[in-house]
Amino acid sequence: MEPIIKVENLWHTYPTGNITALREVSLNINRGELIGVIGQNGSGKTTLVKHFIGLLKPTRGKVFIDGEDTEPLKVQQLAAKVGYVYQNPNHQLFARTVQEELEFGPNNLGVPKEEVQERVEQAIKFFGLEELRYLHPYRIGFPLRKLVGMATIYTMKPDIFILDEPTTGQDNITTQKVYRLIKKLRDEGATVLCVAHDMILLSEVVDRMLVLRDSEVIMDASPREVFSNNEIMASTHLAPPQITSLSLNLRKNKNKLDDVVLSVDEMLALSKDSNQKEKI
Amino acid sequence: MSEKKPVIEFKDVTFWHGGGNEKPAIKNINLKIYEGDYVALLGLNGAGKTTLQLCINGVIPNSIMGDFEGEVIVYGKDTYDTPVREMAKMVGMVFDNPEFQLSQMSVAEEIALGMESLGFSYDEMVETITEVLDIVGLQGLEERSPFGLSGGQQQRLSIAAALAMEPKILVMDEPTSNVDPIGKEEIFSVAAQLNREKNMTVIMAEHEVEVMAAYANIVIVMHEGEILLNGTPEEVFSNVELIQKLGLRLPQVTEYAHRLNQLNLASIKKPYPVTLNSAIERYKDIL
Amino acid sequence: MQGIVIPISMVPGNSAIHRMNPLPKLLWTFGILALSFSTRNIAVLGIAFAIGLLLVFYSRITSAYLRVALILFPISLTLITLQSIAPAFPRPWTTIAAFGPFNIYQEGIYSGISLLLRIMAMTTWAMVTIMTSHPSDIFTSLKKIGMPYVLNFILVMTLQLIPILQNEFGTVLNAQKSRAMKGSGFGAILPSMVPVFVGAIERVQQLSISLESRAFGSTGQKSSFRQVRMAFSDYFVMALGFVTTGLATYWVIIDKSLDWSKSMTFSPIFAVSLVLSATIGFLVFVIFAIRAALSA
Repeated sequence: MEPIIKVENLWHTYPTGNITALREVSLNINRGELIGVIGQNGSGKTTLVKHFIGLLKPTRGKVFIDGEDTEPLKVQQLAAKVGYVYQNPNHQLFARTVQEELEFGPNNLGVPKEEVQERVEQAIKFFGLEELRYLHPYRIGFPLRKLVGMATIYTMKPDIFILDEPTTGQDNITTQKVYRLIKKLRDEGATVLCVAHDMILLSEVVDRMLVLRDSEVIMDASPREVFSNNEIMASTHLAPPQITSLSLNLRKNKNKLDDVVLSVDEMLALSKDSNQKEKI
Repeated sequence: MSEKKPVIEFKDVTFWHGGGNEKPAIKNINLKIYEGDYVALLGLNGAGKTTLQLCINGVIPNSIMGDFEGEVIVYGKDTYDTPVREMAKMVGMVFDNPEFQLSQMSVAEEIALGMESLGFSYDEMVETITEVLDIVGLQGLEERSPFGLSGGQQQRLSIAAALAMEPKILVMDEPTSNVDPIGKEEIFSVAAQLNREKNMTVIMAEHEVEVMAAYANIVIVMHEGEILLNGTPEEVFSNVELIQKLGLRLPQVTEYAHRLNQLNLASIKKPYPVTLNSAIERYKDIL
Repeated sequence: MQGIVIPISMVPGNSAIHRMNPLPKLLWTFGILALSFSTRNIAVLGIAFAIGLLLVFYSRITSAYLRVALILFPISLTLITLQSIAPAFPRPWTTIAAFGPFNIYQEGIYSGISLLLRIMAMTTWAMVTIMTSHPSDIFTSLKKIGMPYVLNFILVMTLQLIPILQNEFGTVLNAQKSRAMKGSGFGAILPSMVPVFVGAIERVQQLSISLESRAFGSTGQKSSFRQVRMAFSDYFVMALGFVTTGLATYWVIIDKSLDWSKSMTFSPIFAVSLVLSATIGFLVFVIFAIRAALSA
């Protein structure tokens, strides 16, 4: 099957100051993948994902979305396929009510009136915004405002969601809700990319991680592989989740990947196994 | 142990934000914080953490409109009738959005701003700027624009600007929520260093429970304006059920202990481990 | 990270003008301002403009200066077009040529040229001052001669906010494009303004709490970190500026023979071609500006 995002030898240089922000990036992302993009600020991760929606164009190399070269396409055209949820919801919201906010995207795409309403209903249900529907976006507290930001993209029904720091500044209740929503998006068939520093999100939610450092993708692997690679973790100043560190410290066979856990649940499953073995 | 005097004391403090709010932002707060404490303040958004923190340097009730009841005593002074300039010499504040705290054209001028208001001499300012930049690790950036720094650097600059007035208490409101991992590491380590080496009292609101468990000696859990738990990290986090009911996270190793017990896979005694190192010690024989 | 450029800001350099204290530069600029408003004499304004240009070359800020001047000059050309048909002069007006329903007047041409020179002279001197002085030094100097502390802070903050809001506006515009925003122009820009303003308000609220926590705004003796020293040469240049511009202003006010509005006559061919080229120059600029705005 054709990958939904295909990046071929992508370079990007910003005109101001001639800074190379991306160097020789090649990768494929398949439909339905749930991917975490990590790296420090300035590592190139935002530059990379901005190419997927056409906010930036390659200096060298090619980016294909669903088989189509993004070079001649405008952001407004790519928006039908790629949804970009900004880190700060304030950058996206401006309408008088949540309802209007949700209609804005599909209206721009020329979706028929009835279908727009249908999508708005779906989005309200999906994100649980029933009570906020007729409120002004700025009267809604930050955690929920961020969900509204996601919902405005949801009504555009893109194949690909790019979520920039979806859990930053959120407390645990909303964070857990966002984790569930991200998984649900994938279950509905979307491809989801999370640009994030949230280690729990990366360990418990995503299937694959792209690690960027100094304008290059230095690792493209499963979270289990990334978190157990000390060298990568140290050089990117990332710390694995506490439970992962515990398992890394306690595992007897240093090369056995199965003994690296990504969540408390996995740790318990491992403990159960070893318990049973003892009993036998 | 001799009787220590608290450096911060809340006596029955309740505060309603202006504009006819029926529910107080914080209510019946009684709290004592001692010199050199590293206090982690946990709670959901809207639990009252920020309000409580703004009471410490007197911005509440002096500048933010609302109804205030009770007393906050900082180093023996009642915040209600102590001018800002006096409070700034005792309490430094750092907020969550790095950029929103900055206004000047260069790092040096940013740090000097508060000192200018207090009438420091030029020589004092130059000396202090060098000193505080050294503490936060921003040496050599004096002439740079604050707005060209990374988030972590901006937060450290805010810390430096607060330190210029030689406060004894550093209050930080989710200082790492808008910075990348390297920035987080920088901020946590500067705060820990100030606490350890200068015996500075640190009060930090933060969502990262694992990091707080490692650094703080006191954890306070707030919910709907009230303090529900207050104690050492081990004591507080051992209240697993209450904390989970409030919707807060536990350190993963603590949650693990609780669930091992629940599933009868082991019997871990309270207080549960909260840090990685203590967990390695406790679990190495079970697994 | 995107580079942000404020069009009028300091151009680093090490010319004698760069090294000078901002106060004498400010005094000269105000002197030229006073002189320019006191006369319509083309020669006097032309000389002030020419000296300003010499200073631009001397302090090596030419390219930065031209970036601003190339926008300002074509816009100012409209003065010639408008003044020539409706002079800001007491009647009677002398007609030179007729353009359908419009008459081109002698006084209008004179007034147009002098207003254009007046604007160019003043802005050139102001740009030399701004582009060769660190903004902090200018503000510190102003504080020294009695500008209130808080007003000074507001000015510094505003100067900082411009590039920040510009950047923010770019982000918001991209966010709207990502939502397939249709159209361009004002209708599209308006929705993007809302988030920028809301953000600015939040920023100011947060900043005020943060500043207060740092004792800003407390009463009592203030001091200044930024030190601007006045060298002997600075005092000299300042005195020279005061005397020169003062005397020149006095001279242009009392010497009635400097009123050339009647004595300096223009031929009809010169007048018509001047008005036409000014109008065309302005229109060409407008077309370029619109095209640049559309492609952005």
